[in-house]
Amino acid sequence: MAATMIATDRTRWFNADTGVLDRRIFSDRDVYQQELQRIFARAWNFMCHESQLPQSGSFFMNYIGEDQVIVVRDRAGAINVLLNSCSHRGNSVCRAEQGRTNSFLCAYHGWNYDLDGRLVAIPGQEAFYRNDVDKAKWGLGKAAQVASYRGFVFATLDPTAPPLEDYLGWVGRLGIDMLASNGELEVVDGIQKNRLKCNWKLAVDNLYDWYHVKISHGSALRIGYAPEEAMAPMSQMVILGEYGHGIGGPGITQAELDEYAARMQSGGGEPKWYDMMAARRLDPRVQKMLGPVGTRSFGHPNIFPNLWITQFNQVCLRVPRGPFETELWWFTLVPKELPEDQRRLAIYMANHTFGPAGLLEQDDGENWSHSTRGAKGAVTQRLPLNYAMGRGHDRVEADPSGQSRIETVVNEHGQRWTYQSWQEWMQADSWQELMAHHSPVPSGVV
Amino acid sequence: MMSAFESLDLQQRMLLTFEAQEFLYREAALLDERRLDEWLALCTDDIHYWMPIRRTTNVKDLDSEFTKPGAMAYFDDDKRTLGMRVQRLAVGRAWAEDPPSRTRHTVSNVRVVSADANEILVALNFHLYRTRLESEEDSWIGRREDLLRRENGALKLARRHIFLDQTVILSQNMSNLF
Repeated sequence: MAATMIATDRTRWFNADTGVLDRRIFSDRDVYQQELQRIFARAWNFMCHESQLPQSGSFFMNYIGEDQVIVVRDRAGAINVLLNSCSHRGNSVCRAEQGRTNSFLCAYHGWNYDLDGRLVAIPGQEAFYRNDVDKAKWGLGKAAQVASYRGFVFATLDPTAPPLEDYLGWVGRLGIDMLASNGELEVVDGIQKNRLKCNWKLAVDNLYDWYHVKISHGSALRIGYAPEEAMAPMSQMVILGEYGHGIGGPGITQAELDEYAARMQSGGGEPKWYDMMAARRLDPRVQKMLGPVGTRSFGHPNIFPNLWITQFNQVCLRVPRGPFETELWWFTLVPKELPEDQRRLAIYMANHTFGPAGLLEQDDGENWSHSTRGAKGAVTQRLPLNYAMGRGHDRVEADPSGQSRIETVVNEHGQRWTYQSWQEWMQADSWQELMAHHSPVPSGVV
Repeated sequence: MMSAFESLDLQQRMLLTFEAQEFLYREAALLDERRLDEWLALCTDDIHYWMPIRRTTNVKDLDSEFTKPGAMAYFDDDKRTLGMRVQRLAVGRAWAEDPPSRTRHTVSNVRVVSADANEILVALNFHLYRTRLESEEDSWIGRREDLLRRENGALKLARRHIFLDQTVILSQNMSNLF
């Protein structure tokens, strides 16, 4: 019975065969409430990088959906993800967004929690409670599972979620490896945070969008902040991963990579548009880490649901703050051993490209907020959206390494895969059902 | 060596304060009137224009409330990158400012902190109000430290450090200059 319902609902919001999307998913309050339950409370969510928690008691505040969580290193060195809500009246036990503490003391009545969430002290335990309270039962709520991959800390609130590495799959791991191949990373102090009036999914689907660059970011290209050939090249590669992960954007050929290597050996020659990309993939250790296809990809990975990894040194979390608001949180990660001048350049690029004052990103927010507004109009919201670019014209190519991919021009494969996967997450009642019924990664014509 | 404001006599203090205010009001008007080339010309070649990231911290962690120079920031600009921001608005497809925002720069509580023959260090409060399109509204309030320097007899802006009161920026972008 359940299986039949899922089969007939396959085109409820998104029709993967036609690429047509029902835009009410950007404005419907019930859809949003379901997302909090079925996507955020179920998925592995990015919390922070281990370098942000250098000592016991170091903490960083984050969200899983709209559940506020404290990510904190305890006295044994383990990382805990605690729900920020006292067991007595539900007040928050931490109000700073980062810092260091010995314990979490509730400002309401003084219930005090250890760094691992255990309730350790209650004022009036003897005088008022007459010792009739079992502290062991009243600790803070905790994430069901916490794990790191290459220093990137994730948590899930669902005890039945598969292990992090299985969840990420080779595509999610490759996405993180692309940053990790830069060296041993540490977060540069300062997480940029700003709030947009858009649905979170519109911010996510833009990371695969290499169609908007010349238009939305036309001014940055025209002043030469970024070269147009490298920012929106014709040659694109898309890699699709289980559960909705993906990588989409520029890809170069093995011939171009070899040409670059030969040119560098012979001492220079005419620069090409892909030089900046190829330069980062010459090291055999990097090539081994990323594999033959990953080495040629300079696309944007998304760890489903909402972690964008850029091709240089940043990740951006799209934090849902209601159906019509999203916060963008930018984390900047540079290798610890980077020489001072290169470190300065990496931070300069991060500061001037993205973030609310970034020369590129300034022009993005209103696009997404107006798309969100368009999904609210009583009649406008009935009009379907076209996500059909390139559909049926490309092929997933296998590789002996197992790294299958699509090599093509600018396209919307990544967006279609995101909404198809999103729909499957939304229609599954549990991890068990999602695992049993989610689509396999496409093969053949897409 | 700059002298602390308090060590100057009343008349010197009045003259310096008036001179600084006059400069600040004039350059605020240039920003509101979108005469950005003229505004840029008021910046020295070695200007540092910087807005660190502010965090909500507990009292005992207040030394890390703002990011330090060299770390991440919302603005960390020199004359060249400020020039790029100005130029960007002139070349078309700068959508965050097309249609343009309507801004009002207000500066108040202007205090000369110290001064010498060449430079005046000023502390002030600011309110940048922005409205755009049909009903978008943004309000940025904070404190600034501006260093004004005399070049060829006229004051120029040699440093602007902007300390915003918001931690999460409640705006879709910061496409305007402070």
